[in-house]
Amino acid sequence: MTSIRYRLLVWLLIGAVVAIAGSAIATYLRARDEANALFDYQLKQMAASLTDAPFAAVPPGSPVIGAGADALVVQIWDRNGVQLFLSQPRRVLPQHAQLGFTTVATDNGEWRVFSTLSEGQVVQVAQPMSARRELAASMALRTVLPLLAALPFLSLIAWITIARGLSPLDRVADAVARRSPTVLEALSETGLPSEVRPLVHALNGLLERLDHALAAQRSFIADAAHELRTPLTAVHLQAQLAERATNDGERSAALSELKGGLERATRLSEQLLALAREEPGVSDRAPVAVDLGATARAVVADLAPLAAAKSIDLGLNETPGVQVRGDVDALTTLVSNLLDNAVRYTPAGGRVDVVIANEDHAALLAVRDSGPGISREDRERVFDRFYRGAAAHAAGAAHGSGLGLAIVKRIAERHAATVELGPGLHGDGLGVTVRFPR
Amino acid sequence: MRILLAEDDPMIGVSVRRGLTQDGFTVDWVEDGRAAEVALAERVHDALVLDLGLPRKAGLDVLAAMRRRGDARPVLILTARDAVADRVAGLDAGADDYVVKPFDLGELAARLRALLRRGAGRAEPVISYGSLRFNPSTREVRVGGEVVQLSARELALLEALLARPGAILSRAQLEDKLYGWNDPVESNAVEVHIHALRRKLGTDLIRNVRGVGWMLARRDSAAA
Repeated sequence: MTSIRYRLLVWLLIGAVVAIAGSAIATYLRARDEANALFDYQLKQMAASLTDAPFAAVPPGSPVIGAGADALVVQIWDRNGVQLFLSQPRRVLPQHAQLGFTTVATDNGEWRVFSTLSEGQVVQVAQPMSARRELAASMALRTVLPLLAALPFLSLIAWITIARGLSPLDRVADAVARRSPTVLEALSETGLPSEVRPLVHALNGLLERLDHALAAQRSFIADAAHELRTPLTAVHLQAQLAERATNDGERSAALSELKGGLERATRLSEQLLALAREEPGVSDRAPVAVDLGATARAVVADLAPLAAAKSIDLGLNETPGVQVRGDVDALTTLVSNLLDNAVRYTPAGGRVDVVIANEDHAALLAVRDSGPGISREDRERVFDRFYRGAAAHAAGAAHGSGLGLAIVKRIAERHAATVELGPGLHGDGLGVTVRFPR
Repeated sequence: MRILLAEDDPMIGVSVRRGLTQDGFTVDWVEDGRAAEVALAERVHDALVLDLGLPRKAGLDVLAAMRRRGDARPVLILTARDAVADRVAGLDAGADDYVVKPFDLGELAARLRALLRRGAGRAEPVISYGSLRFNPSTREVRVGGEVVQLSARELALLEALLARPGAILSRAQLEDKLYGWNDPVESNAVEVHIHALRRKLGTDLIRNVRGVGWMLARRDSAAA
């Protein structure tokens, strides 16, 4: 049982009982000491009064001596050890006597004995210790009883107070239960006890982060749906044109355009998938050592035919043995996207260079082209998904997905790498530099 | 009928232009908002097909500026955004109709014909002139119930003349309706096509006003 209310109450009760028991014991001990002092004095007085008067003057059964169980017992001997008087013959007291106070154990329990010598007679006054203990116990009991009687009330008050004190938790639970993925507004932090507020504050932080993450997801899906609609519209129109074709020439031209449209839609969905895979927390592949040069060589080989078709001089300038730790597929995608952009936007007859090198604290990958470059105001935004810079709108430029650089940025972030946009070859064009720190 | 198409996606632009051309429209295609404004300033187009997500100048801005200038030509918006708010914004900014991507080429052409017909103040889909009946959607011409076969250029010329009966259209005006920016203009082409039209529809239908241009003959004489 981990109920705070239950545990608090149990410990409160245990504490109260211990405190009451402690005070009972203390009262008892103090009362016993006081009773000892008082009764010892009484014994002494009794003995004194007996020695002052002839023993015969003390009538048996006198109220002073009493006859009850806790009554005093008086015993008098003469000089020869002959017992002259015994107030209660039923009681057995030790026959010998030490002068002064002694405590003796008898068959009737412990006795407090006071003996005094006077005029050749030994006067012994004794009293059972139990009488003193009973007195002390009854005093202790009188002290403790009201406290014990108060205990149920105390428990009730504690129970109610704890419930009241914890009721904000119920309200918070209620408010949290009313939250849903669509309603993630912050919980009210007013009127909360200081013990609960940090929890609610932390919850609000979580709600806010969750809201942001969900909003990002929603906008991604909305953007993706919107972006997919454009190539699908193109495919839709191209299919209609193919249907309308009245002769084989028209039909095959329309079908070839349809194929281009399908390739574009396919490419976009692949890029969307690549971007989704780079979402934080999606990929959990353990990083391995990746040879950046080998990765770049493979990508350059893939794009060489396209570059050749546009008469673009595509080259790799590689320092051998540059390695980074990471996801080999993601890094291939990164290089491929950068190089694909460079070849796509560089006009025919241009040049694209890939540089792989080691720097002091980083491995460097740079792709530089002699294309139109990216204007300063566009540089901030080209990493936004679905943003296409002015070059992407330039006449004749093949339409990209608008995702290439967004994917590059995500992959770089996952590898703790920085991406920097700068001038390309011969002062114009675009140079993208990725630095993987070590 | 000459249409200005403003669409930034090359594949969609190519396809729409081809489809509308097949449906008898003369289509000019621009890829951004600024180019659309320049083209509109020529005042040769009968209607505008406008994508809202244009670079350089957003479609809605192009539309609003056009209406501010008092340009009342029909505008059909073409948008990937199917949110009701976007369509409302488009219509409120002065659009006459919209289609949501992906759309059907036939539907786009039909909506354009409807817009042009309403713009011309006609209720019935078939244009009548005397005994001549022209159906813009089927591109069918009948004279006195007989179907007459016309070429695309001849149809375009006839359509231009039918759009403004009684008005004299100059050679330049007719050429504007006949040829898009990318079409090579053949010399004497208007005369050649007018000649063909007269041969097929009867010599009385189209009158030449020497030095000015051509016009449709009065309705009653066309009926003869």
